[in-house]
Amino acid sequence: MFKQKTTEQIKSASRKTDSGSYAFYNNPKYRGMIYQALLIFGLAYFFYAIISNTLGNLEAAGIKSGFGFLSNAAGYDVLMSLIDFDSTDTYLRVFIVGFLNTILVSILGIFFATILGFIFGVMYFSKNFIIKKFSVVYVETFRNIPLLLQILFWYSAVLATLPGPRDSLSLGEAVFLNVRGLFVPKLIGEGGSGFVYAVIAIAIVGIFVLRSWAKKRQELTGQQFPVFNASLAIIIGLPFVAALLSGFPFIVDYPSLQGFGFQGGITVIPELMALTIALSVYTGAFIAEAVRAGIQSVPHGQTEAARSIGLKEKKIMSLIVVPQAMRVIVPLLNSEYQSLVKNSTLAAAIAYPDLFNVFVGTALNQTGQAIETIFLAIVVYFAVNMLISFIMNRFNGNVELVGR
Amino acid sequence: MQNIFKTEPVEFKPAAALPAPSSTVGPVAWAKANLFSSIPNAVVTTLVVLGLISVVPGIIDWMFISATWSGASQEACVSDGACWVFIRAWSQQFFYGSYTDGQLWRVNLSLLLLFVVIVLSFTLPANSRLKVSIPLFLALPFVCIAILDGRLLGLQFVSTDLWGGFSLNVLMAAAAIIVAFPFSFLWALGRRSEMPLARSISVIFIEFFRGVPVLALFFMGSVMLPLFFAEGTNVDKLVRVWIVLIFFMSGYMAEVFRGGFQAVPSGQYEAADSIGLGYWQKTLLIILPQVIKVSMPNILATFVMLFKNTVFLLIIGIPEVLQTLLTALSNSNWLGGHAVEGYVFVGAIFWVCCFGMSMLANNIEKKLDTSHRN
Repeated sequence: MFKQKTTEQIKSASRKTDSGSYAFYNNPKYRGMIYQALLIFGLAYFFYAIISNTLGNLEAAGIKSGFGFLSNAAGYDVLMSLIDFDSTDTYLRVFIVGFLNTILVSILGIFFATILGFIFGVMYFSKNFIIKKFSVVYVETFRNIPLLLQILFWYSAVLATLPGPRDSLSLGEAVFLNVRGLFVPKLIGEGGSGFVYAVIAIAIVGIFVLRSWAKKRQELTGQQFPVFNASLAIIIGLPFVAALLSGFPFIVDYPSLQGFGFQGGITVIPELMALTIALSVYTGAFIAEAVRAGIQSVPHGQTEAARSIGLKEKKIMSLIVVPQAMRVIVPLLNSEYQSLVKNSTLAAAIAYPDLFNVFVGTALNQTGQAIETIFLAIVVYFAVNMLISFIMNRFNGNVELVGR
Repeated sequence: MQNIFKTEPVEFKPAAALPAPSSTVGPVAWAKANLFSSIPNAVVTTLVVLGLISVVPGIIDWMFISATWSGASQEACVSDGACWVFIRAWSQQFFYGSYTDGQLWRVNLSLLLLFVVIVLSFTLPANSRLKVSIPLFLALPFVCIAILDGRLLGLQFVSTDLWGGFSLNVLMAAAAIIVAFPFSFLWALGRRSEMPLARSISVIFIEFFRGVPVLALFFMGSVMLPLFFAEGTNVDKLVRVWIVLIFFMSGYMAEVFRGGFQAVPSGQYEAADSIGLGYWQKTLLIILPQVIKVSMPNILATFVMLFKNTVFLLIIGIPEVLQTLLTALSNSNWLGGHAVEGYVFVGAIFWVCCFGMSMLANNIEKKLDTSHRN
């Protein structure tokens, strides 16, 4: 991005500099140098002033600097952690716990937002008037209400009004929903479960092999292969057969009401639920707009041409419209995913223990080391966003127009 | 002799067109085409209509029919419906925060000034529009601060701790975007500049403020910024947040302007060069007006984002409208669970403002769109 040349640069490079006929300060080259020197001096002074002020202020307040605090004991507990954690662990472990929680909510949010966004984006093109309006109402409602308000709404106006543990809503005595959260059964692998996991991995690899084989065969012979159905059969069938062969080495841990709360299974705390719902619904509205824009960007002539050569309506969508729409959708998705990760910091409002809340919130309050904690948090968000950008750009390379 | 060829000139009158077949016009045909075009469509329509019938009357009943509209305290709310008394009792706080009673006209005056300047910037004659409205806009935040604070004008002093409510959201967003304007313009110019250092500094700045979560910026504003000032300087909390919002906004707006600069045809730059205008003359007189015009929809979209983000101020404890709502909900006289009413009310205010602005952006975009693709 530093190397892009504007038309002005190219022009000035090709312009002849005839230094004899005018004063040297009118020469754009020297002028640029003078301006940049001034800029550097200004910035250097600015940073010098900031750094010396900061050091002075820190000294006056008696705050240590440096990252030494990371190995100190944190002394507080975290509401939810994916790895073992107790209050005697270090700040570094707090950092990791928070990071994992942020990743968890981001992945959940991206997953559900993408599904919602694509469903409502495609619904806009329904021939059914009501369905179309439904999509418009969804997008316009949730896009125009601040995300923080939505998070608080789900958390304190919807989830907080759920019944208590004793009268929780249940689905077949396995899934329970109450004011303490969502309780779902957990699958615990016993001896021999490694075999099933290995078979799942083989099935996933097998699908990719099958896809490339089918594509090659179609290019050579023109014969098509039902890749989707075959993949579905492989991914469900193979692990099932493997589980049967090894005598189903799993036990299901159902949540059950014991005393005042539920024991066993997986607990999804209401904070996580509220944040995931709000993030997915809000970002989903933006993704729906992106999908709509993508599909609208495909000229109608493409659909008509596809019809004229006799493709079925389903095939027109999957072979002609969607691949072209993806070129518009993927870059937009990239920025939506990045803003979802950035917006997950709003967890602080409902005390979901994400990186920002446990690290910048609590750790900063306890140590007073504002610069170090905020710096670490910012670096993480930058890194995650760069990772998303990298993945989406790779994906974009796949859908981009190939110049021949 | 009679000329048989001579006849009265008869004007050709086509017979009136027959009306369209009754099966293609009218509500029945419309419903047939849009609601019941196929069996799955008909099923979906029926299901959705049934769903709406089972939900909507309940909502309407809750919101309007069995809602309580008048009263002074929570005791008035005896019915099952919404308790709008809650909103009514707190409406002054929702809108003005805890701004001193009797001085509210100053908040109104500030909002009025903002409104007048916006209207002027659209209605002034085209030749003087930018020349008049840009200085007005740039002066506006400072005039509003003087009015609200009051010390400079010899009015009663109102501390910034008392400013709040929805008017704070509006004024904060407006003040931030107005001051961010010239900065973002400079960053965009820097990013297009031919000076490598200026370009890299602009790129780093823009990408930093676009890449960092807004909340991190607010935290920086409230805990890091005080460290940057010389010892003993005490900068007001609202001013620090304002600075943060300005930087945040100028990062986003710089990208909007960059798009605008690219949209101006290169012939405009060349024509300006050829009549011998200098760099600033070219930029300010020829390019900037066109950039502002083409980026207007995106500027509005960015403003909507900023406006929604002003709610985040509650996390660092500034009494904007949502923070006021949370305070009201935890007030001991109003513990009757009015959360839904409160969120619906605040959400509706934001929705109306944001939706209105995005409609406006759409209209401007349509006006600007000179292509004839559809």
